[in-house]
Amino acid sequence: MGIIFLLYSSSLKAQTFSASEYQIKAVFIYNFSHFVEWPASSFEKSYSPFVIGILGNNPFGPYLQEAIRNERIGSHIMEVRQFNNVREANNCHILYINLQDPEEIKQTLLAVSGRPILTVGDSPNFLRFGGLVRFFTEESKIRLEINNTVAKSRKLQISSKLLRVATVQ
Amino acid sequence: MKLKSLPIQRKLMSIILLTCAVVLFFMCTVYIILENEFYKESFKANMATLGAVIASNSSAALAFDNPEDARDVLGALDAEPNIILAALYRMDGTILATYPADTKASAFPTLTERNLYWYEGKFLHGIEPVMQRNEQLGKLYLQSDLQAMYAQLRRFAIIGMGLIAVALLIAYVLSHLLQGSIADPILNLEQTARSISEKGDYSVRAVKISNDELGALTDAFNQMLSQIQVQNEEILSFNQKLEQKVIERTSELQHQKEFVETIINSSVDLVAVFDTDMKYIMMNKKTMESYENNDTLLGKKLLEVFPQLENSDMHINLQKALQGEHVYLPRYRSKVIPRWFENYFIPLRDVDNNVYGVMTIGHDITSIVESAEKIEKVNAELLKSNRDLEQFAYVASHDLQEPLRKIQTFAQMLSDHTGDPEQAKIYQEKINQSSGRMKQLIQDMLNFSRISNSEEAFVPTDLNDVLENLIIDFELLLREKDAVINYPNLPVIPGIPLQLSQLFSNIINNSLKYTEKKPVITITCDTLTAEDVNTYHKLDKNIPYYKIQFQDNGIGFEPQYSEQIFAIFQRLHGKQSYSGTGIGLALCKKIVENHHGIIYAEGRLNEGATFTIIMPGAESKVI
Repeated sequence: MGIIFLLYSSSLKAQTFSASEYQIKAVFIYNFSHFVEWPASSFEKSYSPFVIGILGNNPFGPYLQEAIRNERIGSHIMEVRQFNNVREANNCHILYINLQDPEEIKQTLLAVSGRPILTVGDSPNFLRFGGLVRFFTEESKIRLEINNTVAKSRKLQISSKLLRVATVQ
Repeated sequence: MKLKSLPIQRKLMSIILLTCAVVLFFMCTVYIILENEFYKESFKANMATLGAVIASNSSAALAFDNPEDARDVLGALDAEPNIILAALYRMDGTILATYPADTKASAFPTLTERNLYWYEGKFLHGIEPVMQRNEQLGKLYLQSDLQAMYAQLRRFAIIGMGLIAVALLIAYVLSHLLQGSIADPILNLEQTARSISEKGDYSVRAVKISNDELGALTDAFNQMLSQIQVQNEEILSFNQKLEQKVIERTSELQHQKEFVETIINSSVDLVAVFDTDMKYIMMNKKTMESYENNDTLLGKKLLEVFPQLENSDMHINLQKALQGEHVYLPRYRSKVIPRWFENYFIPLRDVDNNVYGVMTIGHDITSIVESAEKIEKVNAELLKSNRDLEQFAYVASHDLQEPLRKIQTFAQMLSDHTGDPEQAKIYQEKINQSSGRMKQLIQDMLNFSRISNSEEAFVPTDLNDVLENLIIDFELLLREKDAVINYPNLPVIPGIPLQLSQLFSNIINNSLKYTEKKPVITITCDTLTAEDVNTYHKLDKNIPYYKIQFQDNGIGFEPQYSEQIFAIFQRLHGKQSYSGTGIGLALCKKIVENHHGIIYAEGRLNEGATFTIIMPGAESKVI
């Protein structure tokens, strides 16, 4: 966790807004693992890793890797994986979808529907396409929008505390 | 007031109230101390619980950096008025949200790594980690005002004081009501005892109030009173008997005392008792009568009353008797009264054989002593007379034989020379002379022996008359010798006039006889001073003396003969030189001694002689 403090050091503040934005988003994505319960069936084995997948370009640079380094969820070691195809993403627990084409996003979300994956994205229609968590910016702060109905259908239990800090659809 | 001297009621009350007060105060104090600790712990626990809840609710706000939500969560603290400050810290130490919402960040401390709750001044501080699934997301800081807690404690203290006061009041009332059961029987007993000791009435009984130990005490007290009453009566009757006995004994003793006193007072002897300080403690009637001021003697010391007894036989023997010696003094001449006593000094001993006094018994033997002295005196006179007779016989045989032998011799010669009348006349003359001398000798011897046997009484004799008559008698002789007698006024002394005349006559005759030409006899007379009297041991110090001296200008004598000239028939010179029988001065000595005086002669050859006569001026009182 100490690494995160370092990320806030003055030298890094001088970086671009996007760098700072994704730095925060990386932490948020990591924090989701604390406020969401995944069904036990989402892990093949007790030592199976907790996988955070990225579909599309990786906008976090090293930040996400840094955020999860050496972290565990219960007995599960956290990993970040880069996917090129949605089929590879079947076994991950959090999937950040960084695609531009809305149709492609829609297809991707449709492909993982039915699986206990917390899908996260930035596009305005992300939730309408069946995504679970959307980042948006309000008064220069990064806010969350969550579709809890869908999350429940995916057997993901989202903490009421997380729901309280987010806009819930 | 000390507890010891309080009346028992107040003592009981004091004990109860003091005990209650101490117990209640102790309990309240302990309670408040424990309550304080308990409150602190409970406050801490309350804050910890609150902190945990707030921290739990703030985890998402911290995780997703949402200050609005954080403020909402902290806003719930409104329900807890004790919490006056709160803040949520991010992991980097910056503040996400504060409570109250508009508080400046500077009001909050910089947090350390510790998570804890602590008291500081009037505040309780708390730091609670904000966790989500074992992941720390930040920290919650809480500050609570303790005024509420202290107010609560004050309330407890006031209530405690109130409770103590109420409890003491109840204790006071209860003890007031209940102490009677203990104090009343004791007070009753005390009152009874006091009344008995004041009035001495042992028939009073204490009232038994309870059946406890005090009841038993009352019973025992009453029983004791009964015993005292009985014993008192016994003692009284015994006392009466004793008094009766004492009266009888006293009267008996009085009788005995009077008997003994009668015996002692009937004694003709002087009986006195001295204590160890030699104080008179008793004297009988005879003793009283013998002393002057006898009523002041008792209780005084012997030497205090009669200082002249210091170191006298009386004093010394009294001391010996006080040492335990039984002293018998067969002859004691009192220095207090003119009596002789046969004295006994008898030590008086107590039961431990210690001498506590001395009884002196003085038996008056004055008449016996006087008789003995008379006998002694007569005896001495007889002895002297005997001696004189022996001497007289011896001398007479010598001196009387001499003229007798002359008479014989001349008678023989007269008968041998009858033819010569001239010669016969001479012899006759010689015989006449010798017979005349013999007659003179016999006459003088008669005079001498008469003096020895003189029984004549003394009368006051004027020595001037005596001397003047003598001068008339000696007139022819004085004129013949062309002699002069100088004399002063002489005193009147007790004596026998004829003997005193013989005395003066013999002395003057002696002086005239032993003076060759123009005799001058000078007579002087002085009274003897007390000091002078002391130089003559034969004289009595208590009577006056005159010293009469006859000084002549005659042939005198060798000083070694000053004694010898007074012996009878002693002559310093032959009859041829100076006529005389050798009796004159012996006669003088005898006369002076007869008058209790002294005579002595002083002289040097050819330088005259001085005859000194010392005669009493008054009759001697010596018996």
